[in-house]
Amino acid sequence: MRSASAKSARLTRAAGLALALFPALIFASLTGCTKNSDPANTVRFALTTEPPNLNSMQATDQSSFFVLGHVMEGLTRNGPDGAPVPGVAEKWEMNDAGATFYLRKNAKWSDGKPVTANDFIFAWRNVLDPKTASEYAFILYPVKNAEAINKGKLPVSDLGVAAVDDYTLKVTFEKPCGYFMALTSFATYFPVREDFFRQKGDKYAAEAADMLYNGAFKLTSWVHGASLTFDKNADYWNSSAVKLDRISIPYITPDNTARFNFFKEKKTDILDLAKDDLPRAQSENFRLMNHADGSVWFMEFNFREGKPTRNKNLRKAIQLIFDTEEYVNKVVGIPGTKPGKTLIPSWVRGVQDNFRREFPYAPPARNLVEAKKLVELAKKELGGSIPPLVWLTGDTPASAREAEYFQSQFKEHLGLELRIDKQIFKQRLALMSSGQFDIVSAGWGPDFADPMTFAELMTSWNENNRGKWTNDQYDALIRKAQSTSDQKIRMAAMADAEKIALDELAVLPTNERSVIWTHHERLQGVGRSIIGMDPDFTYASIVEGK
Amino acid sequence: MSTTSPTLSNATHSSNSNPGGSSMNSSVNRSFFDNPKQVLESLHGITSDDFDLLAQETGKVGLSRPSLSYWKDAWRRLKKNRQAIFSLYIVVGLVLFTLVGPSIWTTPPSLQTLGRVSEAPSLSIKTVRVLAELPAWQPTLAEGVPARPTAPVPAQDLKAPSQLKLMTEASTLAVRLSWDAVPGATGYRVYRGNYAPMQGSLGLPIATLDGGNIVSIQDTFNLVPGSQHYGVVALRDDEESPNFASLEVILPEAMSLPEALKIDPKAQAGQSLEMPLRPLGSDYLGRDLLARLMSGARVSLFIGFVAPFLSILIGILVGGISGYFGGKTDAWIMRFTDFVLALPFLLFMILFKVAFGAGPGEDGIGPMLLAMVALSWTGPARLTRGQVLQLRESEFVQASRLLGAKPMYLIIRHLLPNTLGVILVSLTFAIPSAIFTEAFLSFIGMGVVPPTPSWGSMCNDGIQTFLTHPHEFIFPALLISITVLAFNLLGDGLRDALDPKMRSVS
Repeated sequence: MRSASAKSARLTRAAGLALALFPALIFASLTGCTKNSDPANTVRFALTTEPPNLNSMQATDQSSFFVLGHVMEGLTRNGPDGAPVPGVAEKWEMNDAGATFYLRKNAKWSDGKPVTANDFIFAWRNVLDPKTASEYAFILYPVKNAEAINKGKLPVSDLGVAAVDDYTLKVTFEKPCGYFMALTSFATYFPVREDFFRQKGDKYAAEAADMLYNGAFKLTSWVHGASLTFDKNADYWNSSAVKLDRISIPYITPDNTARFNFFKEKKTDILDLAKDDLPRAQSENFRLMNHADGSVWFMEFNFREGKPTRNKNLRKAIQLIFDTEEYVNKVVGIPGTKPGKTLIPSWVRGVQDNFRREFPYAPPARNLVEAKKLVELAKKELGGSIPPLVWLTGDTPASAREAEYFQSQFKEHLGLELRIDKQIFKQRLALMSSGQFDIVSAGWGPDFADPMTFAELMTSWNENNRGKWTNDQYDALIRKAQSTSDQKIRMAAMADAEKIALDELAVLPTNERSVIWTHHERLQGVGRSIIGMDPDFTYASIVEGK
Repeated sequence: MSTTSPTLSNATHSSNSNPGGSSMNSSVNRSFFDNPKQVLESLHGITSDDFDLLAQETGKVGLSRPSLSYWKDAWRRLKKNRQAIFSLYIVVGLVLFTLVGPSIWTTPPSLQTLGRVSEAPSLSIKTVRVLAELPAWQPTLAEGVPARPTAPVPAQDLKAPSQLKLMTEASTLAVRLSWDAVPGATGYRVYRGNYAPMQGSLGLPIATLDGGNIVSIQDTFNLVPGSQHYGVVALRDDEESPNFASLEVILPEAMSLPEALKIDPKAQAGQSLEMPLRPLGSDYLGRDLLARLMSGARVSLFIGFVAPFLSILIGILVGGISGYFGGKTDAWIMRFTDFVLALPFLLFMILFKVAFGAGPGEDGIGPMLLAMVALSWTGPARLTRGQVLQLRESEFVQASRLLGAKPMYLIIRHLLPNTLGVILVSLTFAIPSAIFTEAFLSFIGMGVVPPTPSWGSMCNDGIQTFLTHPHEFIFPALLISITVLAFNLLGDGLRDALDPKMRSVS
């Protein structure tokens, strides 16, 4: 059952906020609990969705990563500027052949036992074991033999990791990997202790008591679908720097209005706002802030056999009618949202400077006349007519608005019918995986601070390439970028590969998302990060009287 | 249970009841025929003259007022019921709204005008200025100002930007602002608020400019006509200065020339253009709510009339057969009816949608109609059966049968017309319930698919923004309520009129 649920929970991280709004749920969530036994230093927060899977070796979504990031720690953590800072590893050395991590001796599990190099080795081998069926196994591929193990060609014991002693972890690379350090803070790289995992068996991470924690907090209560509580972990090596005593998630609801009211009534301390709540937030005098969350949103076309979207002229016609400005300003309508032009977004760092400044790409301008010609051509090529296209999307108000906007645009400018398939998050992912769509509105958030996290998305071997677009040249360029640590070669290869994907319209980028958020004055020092858990409460504090 | 129907045996019983009474009657009869004159005289003083024929009288026999048929009588009674008549007007109005409305109010229901999103209801005609498209936006860079000043200036000490002003005429198309560079700033943040700025709350963060030399901005995000307050603060390494400059800008409603050409092909820049009226406001994509309500009514009323009509047709057929033939047929049909009655509607509806292969994004109206008909014929069927059982034993039907009427004649001439009143009443009650079911299913996303609106799906769309733009929810909800109420009151009146036995006590 576990593996089945993991399969359907596969998703793009950034898409994690999109969720079901079923009327019954509104009432269910409103009848939530009102606990008042929290210690003074408690931050309260409402999640949009229950974390589907807290097993760090299988987790794939934003909600799970948020929890895991607070209760677990990898070799490194994400520093404020995206560069890795020491986590379980005190220091490290890295070269083209591999890396050596020196673990701190005071890093402990929540049962008091030390975190050792073997805990990492066990977790990594387990992720790559084909039996685990981890969606994120590919993120370990820089480690020697990882890909072969994941494909079942080699036993897990052949993985290029070794424990020199309990506190020294030696990693051998498959190929030189310039961005490996950025990966080591990612949840899939988190340690898991073998004896505990074996003892829990199938129940591992099913409940709060079925996990061991080595992070700043530990999960003390998990009422499925209703609430979560993390308490400060006294065994954490850096616990003196952690000021919060508790992170409480008293509500889990996808309903924007409900979350807005919780915040207004001071039942939660921090809130992300939906477009329709912005005027209300202003009249309530909230101090509003902007957080570009780093994710890229796009139309992903289906390239499976028999799909009309395989036709390039059709995709091109869709691109030529797309009015980026109107879409971002009027349909998305969240200030700070950037028009989507590229797969690798505008914030990513390149060789020396911003990646996009070093490798600019400009999509063709809107051209309705040309679009009409192309769609006629596509019709001829597809045997006279184009069947109604299925637009798969989420069931939030924002995705409905987007879908109906494109439905009217397609009809008006191309004469094409668009059928809107609104699905709850889990179901949408299942349909994306099984290819039951023509166009899906999807997004991708970065897993690590390197353009590679976006560039490898469209490779033929990536499970998250839902449209199954394949291009040998693209694959070769990504392989090339993955096998060198020379930044110039890597960045250029990724830029070339991206150009192929965009010219071929494997995806049509629509926007780079931005979030308008606010918090009560008593909450200080909350981190909004592009990579890793967001929001990050690890070093936040509560200042009463504000 | 015996194979003869209970009503039949009851009827036989009643005619043969009281055997003692009938034997007494027969003894009286016998003495009367022996000597009638004597008996009568002794009884009442009636003489034999009383048995002579009288001369035919004229003018006495005849109707004192015109004969009143069943339907005329019902209509007379209905007219007395003011509630019901008022409801009848509403229903007629609703039908006109749905059928005639779209040919008078010709705004297409799916026309999106993104410049007029979530507009409040208004009866005044809006004029907007048509503006030529502005030249492409290029941010102004202050000359001689470094993007990253080296001299350390704490954010607290950064001054408020001076000379905050509009670069071009502001409109809802775009607002372009510029200001003078602040020494020591590494960037600026621009806010836009609906209210006059207060410390710590300048409104919406529109943009963060990275570089102390970027001193202008273009804002195009969701601009709505009216007053907007812009605030600009200098940043030092992403930390905001407490000093801000602010500027109130009144935004006139404007439209770009290409947009204007869509409405009026002769439009020119600089001209004022009358915008199409939006009497009930617009929705989240700028679609006219009135046109959508009319178009949505079509779906609601289609389901509302067709589903009950079909289910009643089936109900009459099944109930009629069951009641007329009785016996084993009746027992079997009624058990099957009980079975159908026990099926859960929502589950069945979902199964129907799957079974009919309604693919993603395909209309669920067909399956919905079928499911509703397939599940709701049971009520009318039971009702008809009860009526038929009762009627076929009634004296006039017995008499007709005795005179050699064929079953078909009996059914058409006697049974159906006499059940019609009851059935009509149940029909008027089934209509609002069907409308409500359609609204409910569309509300939860199982009915119509976009762009087709229905009142239920419009409610679902509107409820998301209920707190900010209540009109998007209130109008469809109001229409559903009024329709359902009107049909219910009309049904109540019809029941009183057609079936006086069931008249409510009021």
